[in-house]
Amino acid sequence: MTTDLNQFPQLDKTKFEQRGIQLEIGVPVTCAVSIGNYIAAGFGDGTIRIFSSGEKHKTLKAHKGVILCMAKDGDNILTGGDDGYFLKISLNGEINEITNFGSRWVDHVAAHNGNLVCSSGKVVYYWDKNKKEPKSLNHDSTIGGLAFDAKGRRLAVSRYGGVTVWKKDYSNKWKSTKLDWKGSHNKVSFSPDGKYLVTSMQENVLRCWRLKDKLDFAMSGYGSKVKSFAFIDDTSYLATSGAIDAICWPFDGEGPMGRKPICLPYIGNKQVTFIEPFPDEKAIFAGLSDGSVFLSQIENENNTIIIRSFTGSEVSAIAMTDDKSSIFIGDMSGNTLWTSIWDQ
Amino acid sequence: MENKHQVPVTVLTGFLGAGKTTLLNRILTEQHGQKYAVIVNEFGEQGIDNDLVVDADEEVFEMNNGCICCTVRGDLIRILSGLMKRADKLDAIIVETTGLADPAPVAQTFFVDQDVANKTKLDAIVTVADAVHLSSQIEDHHEAEEQIAFGDVILLNKIDLVKDENIDVVTKRIRKINPFAKIIKTTKCGAPLKEILNLDAFSLKRILEVEPDFLESDHDHEHDDDVTSLSFVSEKPLDMEKFQNWFGKLLQTRGQDIMRTKGILDFKGENDRYVFQGVHMLMDASPMGKWPDDKERSSRLVFIGRNLETMNLKEGFEACKSE
Repeated sequence: MTTDLNQFPQLDKTKFEQRGIQLEIGVPVTCAVSIGNYIAAGFGDGTIRIFSSGEKHKTLKAHKGVILCMAKDGDNILTGGDDGYFLKISLNGEINEITNFGSRWVDHVAAHNGNLVCSSGKVVYYWDKNKKEPKSLNHDSTIGGLAFDAKGRRLAVSRYGGVTVWKKDYSNKWKSTKLDWKGSHNKVSFSPDGKYLVTSMQENVLRCWRLKDKLDFAMSGYGSKVKSFAFIDDTSYLATSGAIDAICWPFDGEGPMGRKPICLPYIGNKQVTFIEPFPDEKAIFAGLSDGSVFLSQIENENNTIIIRSFTGSEVSAIAMTDDKSSIFIGDMSGNTLWTSIWDQ
Repeated sequence: MENKHQVPVTVLTGFLGAGKTTLLNRILTEQHGQKYAVIVNEFGEQGIDNDLVVDADEEVFEMNNGCICCTVRGDLIRILSGLMKRADKLDAIIVETTGLADPAPVAQTFFVDQDVANKTKLDAIVTVADAVHLSSQIEDHHEAEEQIAFGDVILLNKIDLVKDENIDVVTKRIRKINPFAKIIKTTKCGAPLKEILNLDAFSLKRILEVEPDFLESDHDHEHDDDVTSLSFVSEKPLDMEKFQNWFGKLLQTRGQDIMRTKGILDFKGENDRYVFQGVHMLMDASPMGKWPDDKERSSRLVFIGRNLETMNLKEGFEACKSE
């Protein structure tokens, strides 16, 4: 199905909406991750919903307040909340408290190979999978984001003034390197090939470091804050939100410097608020501020299909199952869609 | 975005011991049935009776927008965006600052961050001042002066402990710094809450409604770094281009010293009234409909800040009058 971009947005349900399950939860969807062929979604009232094909979704009450962040840890879900709890939750609904910081929020969580991290305020806590007590990694300002590299050897911590990259040396001691750039850095990510580190900033701009020589550069021109970005297929592109088009920077060869991004336009001129890659297809799902979601091939903008029509509320989560059969979409008003991607 | 419901945010400022916590607890107990979130500093005074209290760090940081005095509260951006994800809808948010905090970064956060501005709005800055100690605090701490300068409402508290003639002295001192704030004299912060909450003091429409006293203020003062105010009125229409050039350059070069500005402007050849208000270099301005038939058209402009007398404001404003 190819949509004509000059056409007025359709009010009819898409085929995905027709065959999928749509819920009106009435509470913001704050995050979603895939765990095998399951999707776990977190909500503003502290509940988690677990979706899988062929079964009714399961609802768990996990936190007392907002679920602020979520990550996958093997077959488990990690969550952090504004109730101060850092939890590990299994797919069959068993909830384990890892720690609780009282009135301080757990802002970010991440995991790699059984090692867990979370941040609360200015401190990152790291749980080695073989140890009970966490190691504290201190920073001068509140942490904006956390990310492991693909091999789990380095941990990037974004903050005010740049990024601190933590690494264990041969004697198993934590060593940090600082990548400085003035301003407040939020979401952070290593490129899948480990060559680049990217942050989105408080200003409408992305900052990128080429790690071999610490050369840094900006990717700018956005109309709003870049809240969501993702590397595509082993670092061929970096797809980003923050504009009325999905902006895809080329990261192959010598990287994006001096090259123009590919801009994927959508119906309605609304801001892109969420990006989720479609692995191995050089394609992305883009969620917009009006709730609509599109799937498009980066190198062929004419190959764009509409997955969900508008709801009037900003898309805040998209996640696809690992077998690429089903997708979950959620927005800030709690409208969700769970649907198979392929025609039967 | 489509749904532009904005939660009002009241900023409570004032020196340590002035009575901020007393006021906060009054708001929380008397406004029952309302759902409030209270953002406090972790080192602040304790004993707040509310089920939604969030600890903040008062992390002030600079924006990379080429504007040197443009500082914002990074923690506030994070906390407000977290609060907007809650299941229960908040009626209001109250931000209590520490005694030594400069209110400017808090106010500027609402101008600078798009998400914050979409979902919340700055309602008013409420300054609690200790009638006994304010004069000496102003002498010793520039923060005390700034808190008075930024206040939309100033609660002159503990007046039961001060002689009447001394209340007049303190009131005059406040007026010299900030002639357009509403001063409410209280003991134990006992002011009607409708004069503290839901004031919409930062909306341009509200500036037109209340029409603050744009009085010619005297400007004798003891120290050069005193905060003072100056206001100007012109019956003659202004030239828009000249005004924009002068005012833009003024905020760009002297924005650090200019704390707050407000104005209603009559431009030659324009049917609409232009209203603006600003905090340091940041400004919100818009045409606000036609001049009412029963009102004389005139331009009025107020500045609050330091070293105003060195900025040739009178000459600059005079030069903007149309030929």
